[in-house]
Amino acid sequence: MSNLPGSDLLNGDRDVVMSCRVRLARNVAGFPFVGRATHPQRREVLETVRAAAGPDEASVGLAGGRVGADAAERLAWIDLTSLPKRDRQLLWERHLVSKQFAEGDSPRAVAVSPDERFSLMVNEEDHVRIQVLRSGNALRNAFDAAMRVDAALGGRLDFAFHPRWGYLTACPTNVGCGIRIGVMVHLRALRVTNEIEKVKRAAKELHLAVRGFHGEGSDATGDWFQISNQRTLGVTEAGLLEEFAGRIVPAVVAYEREARRVLMERQRTLLEDRVFRGISLLRSARLLGLDEAMKQLSSVRLGACVGLLPGVSVDTLTRLTIQLQSAHLRAADPAIETEEEEKAARARTARTALGEWP
Amino acid sequence: MAAPFRPCDHCPKPAVVHNTVIVNGQMTEVHLCEDHAQAAGIQMPGQAPIHQLLGQLAQVGAARPRGPSCPECGHSFHDFKTSGLLGCAACYEAFASTVAPVIERAHGGATEHVGSAPTRADNARQRAALLQQLLRELEQAVSAEQYERAAQLRDKIKDLRPTAAAGGPEAAQ
Ligand SMILES: [Zn+2]
Ligand SMILES: [Zn+2]
Repeated sequence: MSNLPGSDLLNGDRDVVMSCRVRLARNVAGFPFVGRATHPQRREVLETVRAAAGPDEASVGLAGGRVGADAAERLAWIDLTSLPKRDRQLLWERHLVSKQFAEGDSPRAVAVSPDERFSLMVNEEDHVRIQVLRSGNALRNAFDAAMRVDAALGGRLDFAFHPRWGYLTACPTNVGCGIRIGVMVHLRALRVTNEIEKVKRAAKELHLAVRGFHGEGSDATGDWFQISNQRTLGVTEAGLLEEFAGRIVPAVVAYEREARRVLMERQRTLLEDRVFRGISLLRSARLLGLDEAMKQLSSVRLGACVGLLPGVSVDTLTRLTIQLQSAHLRAADPAIETEEEEKAARARTARTALGEWP
Repeated sequence: MAAPFRPCDHCPKPAVVHNTVIVNGQMTEVHLCEDHAQAAGIQMPGQAPIHQLLGQLAQVGAARPRGPSCPECGHSFHDFKTSGLLGCAACYEAFASTVAPVIERAHGGATEHVGSAPTRADNARQRAALLQQLLRELEQAVSAEQYERAAQLRDKIKDLRPTAAAGGPEAAQ
């Protein structure tokens, strides 16, 4: 078993689950919601939340305690209003902030922990959005961390709360627990076997939202899906976690694995063809557009997960899905100006990571 | 028309009517575009004496050309309908009759929060209000012989009592 390529991937379901996250929406009592607040009021909310959050991971309720971590635990506060466009996009590509948040110009900021597993958006649609990210499937761990942050901040801020509706949010459909539990899954085999629509229908019946790689309207990067809960009222936080982490995610993971097994058994040549074309392309291309890169990465990732590519690390491929995004390439090489230079840099980054050929 | 651009309170069009009115004992600035001013039954400046204008503006809510407004933040029903967002916590009461069914539909018919409550220990006022509300609901549930619901309410009330709160998972300072 242990020399089966990719068997350690089952740890955290990393063969299917790229990352998971728990997000909480909160508003500070006594202020209008963000959309209604004046810029001075938004500034005030920003300062209030920032003061309540304090300087580091410990002050937001996260234990810190990583080996060798001391001063590095400080939170980085990034003021979006004074941030260049490329850097905003960078935050969005890393899934640290939403697109809507990255693009706005009114007073807003995000606090990010050094390991980027925690972020705190201030003045998105709601005053406070607590987000905890983990790689692979570590939902329970992410959930616990989010709850600790909620307790720490809620101990210093009055969150808007209603006896009947629970936590109040700008959008009335987010009330109740104000929680979003989600996973980013790679469902390549279910796409190939044409079963993805079934998954989407089932998800809809279970009141789940299914979105693309970067949230709404990002179907270009087609094999990655974000699945998250939509119901937040009439259920407890723990109940939602149990349903999501205990039933839904295991079911999706098992379904994709089964599709992969079937592909290997019945359509191995077709599968190998796509995987080997993909890896050849990523190792040899000189100009690589984003859509093509994501498409080939998806095939290669599937190949690596089913053991067709012994030398290729799935974690490397997971990292590449972020590193090949535009703002990341441009941040790594500020000299990039034209589209063609970006494509060249994307191809170079892929070749370097996967072993250049010839 | 050299005044700095100021959008209408109800839409992004430029406001042409600017006034300070008193609504529910509070001084409030009102800025309306031509359409919304007319919808509110307001004649354009110059066409009506100022006192009349003030009187009509104060009745904007009552006349309900665009539905009621939130007394706390001024968010109108029109704002809610066009953006899908509410303006402040008080909007949940101001637009209760519309918002409640929207929420219930979005949450598969659920009618109330059963998850955690804010942790802030010194927020006695909020806890007290919540307790009052729950006790009232308990009374109603008992008199309506809804025993399952009464049991749920008792659990929530128990969770709210100081001893339970102090020992809860929120004890982090
Ligand atoms: Zn208007
Ligand atoms: Zn309001």
